[in-house]
Order: sequence, then C-alpha cells, then structure tokens
Amino acid sequence: MNLGISAIEYIHGIKSGSITSEEFVAKTLEHINKVEPRLHAFLSLNNNAIDQARQIDKKIKSGQNVGAFYGMPISIKDNISIKGGKTTCASKMLQNYVAPYDATVVSKLKSQDAIIIGKTNLDEFAMGVATEFSAFGPSKNPWNTDYVPGGSSGGSAVSVAGLESTLSLGSDTGGSVRNPASFCSIVGLKPTYGLVSRHGLVSYANSIEQIGPMGRRVEDVALLLNHIAGKDAHDPTTIDSKDQDYLSEINTGIVGKKIGIIKEMSSGAGLDKTVESVFKNAVAAFEKSGAIIDTVSLDMVEYTVATYYVLTTAEAGSNLSRYDNLRYGFDMDSEGYEFKSYISKARRNFGPEVTRRMILGGFVPSAGFAGKYLLKALKVKSKLKKQIQSAFSKFDFLISPTVPVLPFRFGEKIDDPLAMYLADINTVTANLTGIPAISIPYEIRDGLPVGVQIHANRLEEKQLLQAAYYLQSTTNLPEIPL
Amino acid sequence: MIILVTKEDIEHIARLMRIDIENSDEYFERVKKILGYFDILDKADIEGEDIPVQEVNIEDLRDDKYIAFDDKLIEQLKNYKGSYIRAPKMN
Repeated sequence: MNLGISAIEYIHGIKSGSITSEEFVAKTLEHINKVEPRLHAFLSLNNNAIDQARQIDKKIKSGQNVGAFYGMPISIKDNISIKGGKTTCASKMLQNYVAPYDATVVSKLKSQDAIIIGKTNLDEFAMGVATEFSAFGPSKNPWNTDYVPGGSSGGSAVSVAGLESTLSLGSDTGGSVRNPASFCSIVGLKPTYGLVSRHGLVSYANSIEQIGPMGRRVEDVALLLNHIAGKDAHDPTTIDSKDQDYLSEINTGIVGKKIGIIKEMSSGAGLDKTVESVFKNAVAAFEKSGAIIDTVSLDMVEYTVATYYVLTTAEAGSNLSRYDNLRYGFDMDSEGYEFKSYISKARRNFGPEVTRRMILGGFVPSAGFAGKYLLKALKVKSKLKKQIQSAFSKFDFLISPTVPVLPFRFGEKIDDPLAMYLADINTVTANLTGIPAISIPYEIRDGLPVGVQIHANRLEEKQLLQAAYYLQSTTNLPEIPL
Repeated sequence: MIILVTKEDIEHIARLMRIDIENSDEYFERVKKILGYFDILDKADIEGEDIPVQEVNIEDLRDDKYIAFDDKLIEQLKNYKGSYIRAPKMN
C-alpha cells in the first residue's frame, strides 16, 4: 500500500473499494512507528485511530452517509485543541494541559469522518522557524535529518512530507505554515484572515494568525480548505465563505492573468543564490502559462520584519499573561509561595525564545517606548496594506520565493535570533495585510527543497489555488528518500 | 530618534511581566540587539499614516447569552478545593 497517495486518490481508493480506512490507518501507524525515532513529527498519537477507522469502514460498507474524508489520517498542530487530549504547545508550561473542548476546525474534521492521527510538534507557542524551540526536542527534515524542517508548524510539515499523515493543519502567524511547507517540499496555505475559525487555537498574535491546511498536493489543500472555511459564532472575526468550492475548476489555468514579482522579496543581499535560481525557473514556467508578468515594488517590505516582531511580541506579551499557573500553567503547588514569586517561578517553565518575546512584548508598548516601536509598526502596517491594495489593482497574483534561504542545519541560527527573524521577510506581509498566500514545492537542489510563494487578494483563494495548481503542473519533484 | 535601552529598563519590564530571568546578561544582550534592529522603523516614510483599527460589526457578534458547559472545568486543575482555586498568599 502506497502511503504517498494524495488525499483525492485516497478518496477514490476508498470509493472503489481498493483500500479501507482501517488498512490505511494501520499502515500509517506502522510507518509512524518506524520513522518517528528519526523524524519526531508527533508529540502524541491517537490510540483509538484504528477503532475509529473500523467504525468508518462499517459506515461505508453499510451504505450510510460518510463524511468527505472517509477515514483519512490527518495530523493537527499541538496548539489546536482536541477535547480530552493534551494540547501542549510544545511547552513545559502546558505539558499536562488537557483541552476541555474541540477547536472549531477539529469539530469540522471529525464531523467529516477524518481520523485525527496525532498532534504535531512545533516551536514553543508557535514562536520560531525551525522547531528548535520545542521543549520536547526538534523535528527533523525528512529530506535530510541534519537540517531543520522549518517552523513553527514543522511537525505538521514533517508528518505530511514523511508520509505519516495525508493532510495536516498548522497555524501561520508570520509564515509558520508556508515556511515548513517550503523547507519540507509540501504545499501550505495561509488563508485570508477570518476565512478559518481560530476558536480553539491557542493564541499567540490574534490579530494576524490563521489556521492553514497543508498537504502534498495543491488539490488536497483545496479539499481541506473546503471543510474548514466559514463563519463561526465562536470567532467574531470569521467571514462567510459562501460555501465556496475551492477544488472545482482547480485546473482552469491562468491564461491572461497578471502576475507581479515582488522586487523586495526576490532580489537583494539576503536572497540565497540557489533560491534565486529556483525562483527564476518558476518565473519562466509562469511565463509559459499565458499570464502577463511584470515586477512590482513594495517599499514597506523592508520594514515588515521589525513591524511583525513589534506587533506580535506586544500581542504575545498580553496573551501569555494567562499562564500564571492558576488559570493555566504548570500545576505547581501554591504552598509556601507568595503570589508574585509563585507566578514568576512558574513562568521559568517558558523556554528562552518565549521569555525573550514576552520581555520584548512588555517593552514595545510600554510608556516612553510605544511611540518609537508600537505606533510606528502600526503605521507601517497601514501603509503596507495600501501598497498591497494598489498592487492588486494592477495584478491578480504577487509572487516571491517563500523563504529567502535554504533549509539550514540544526544550531546554525539558534544563537542569533535576529538572523532567524530575517528568514520571515517574505512571509510576514501576507499576515500583516490579511491576504492569502500559498507555498508550492518547486525544486530539490542538492537534496534540499525550495518553495515558491503566490499571494492573491483577500478572499481570492479559489483563483490562488488555480495558480498554484498550474505551477505544480510544471514541477518534476523526486520521491522523498525515507 | 535614538533611545538608549538600559539593562535596568529590561529588568524592570521583566519584573512587571513577572518573569524571572536567571541569566539576565544574556537576555539583555539579545533583547538589546533585537530592539536595535527595530530602529529600522525610524527610517520608514510613514508620515500622515493612520493607526489601523480592526472593525467587527456588532451584528456579527454572537448573542450575549450564557451557554452551559457540562464539564467541571475546575477538576482540570491540580490545586483546588471545592469550587475554589487554591492560590498562594497575597502579601
């Protein structure tokens, strides 16, 4: 049995009777047991997965209504709540936290007969680009285990690339779905802000983060988006998706569409030469599509990394204040402690990057410093939005490399937070402006994956996925050496 | 506008955030380096830009009604007594 089939092929296989959910899930678990010691994609596994698959097979056999996923194994990033299961955010602070309710996306997947195969590793509280900040050890890039898988949804990307799950859900605050998708050679989408409910996602920076689908194929990501998008009473920022079918007409092509190459993301000293060369090949493929290509300059991009870290640390400083060991936390006994020292002591369970961002988050909005940092960042965000809107009045899509650098070795950037932050330069714009963006695996160079990013205007996911599907059709990627 | 951030400023913020820093010199150097990078914002031409606000229509909010939650949430905690959370002494 081939675990590398697409989600669409899985559904055809189930419908034709050539595979059963139980067989597929059992084989997936067997494979997980084999590769996990090397890859470490998961923080926990669903012990009832085979029983659940068996129940779905029974429904299929008896001709009952079956949900759209037909018992397909899907992994979930461990900052998304599943009732009765641990949701650790890869933090010691939450290592014993059991979520009392399902996130909306999880309820939706369960109602469509998905099998949640396990919870995936991440940088602690989704803060990082390599999973090196997981309190439970990093995940490894399945293309070369000496290299990071990207982050923060690194475990999700590894699980999909490593054939440990067919699809996955990650979260993307500044590129956390697209960066690991690029580093692990899979597809990852950051939807329009508000298209997918955040209810049940542990908050990091609410004003810009989104849950996003990840898969090995563009059409798989479209299928997953079909079933997680839409309005949710529990998240007032959600938008009515009008039951848009992102999968139908995905092979429409992009003849006559206008594509803008974002100059500030596709050139310059910070861009790796190999990444630049792969991106040029992708541009050449777009040129053959019948689309019209030009360059566009967005001068605010230069300030986006600073803006992103000012805004997200300010929100994180506030969001993480709930971990006081009383409402949420480490469950340290209160006996013998005074209130303030008790909270400070419990917060030692945050790792170094979370601690750093909390301090920055206390700093940037504080009296005397807000005018220098927070207010300026908000104004850059405002101007960037205008520049993006102006660009979309001329173009249908804006493109760039997903990440300006190749996957790096473990330890290479961990001691230099700034170098790590600069890896986000091409991804944060979509978050700061609320537009959708997707990473498509384009080439493997010297054994390392390189992805290409396409942005579309707000709520234009259907057309974005059509462009991504076209680009995917021009690739010729090798099989992963597992 | 150059504002010099001192180690004391950072320690003060950490105290207000109720964070214990064991090796404050290391945190100070890294936080200072990141704040130094944030100075790039001084160069941005943002004259006349507004502060963006996120609007949510009041009719888009769910009804302000009590929704019962069946599970006893307090039982999720280790330190409670009856219906009270056990907290350390305030002094």
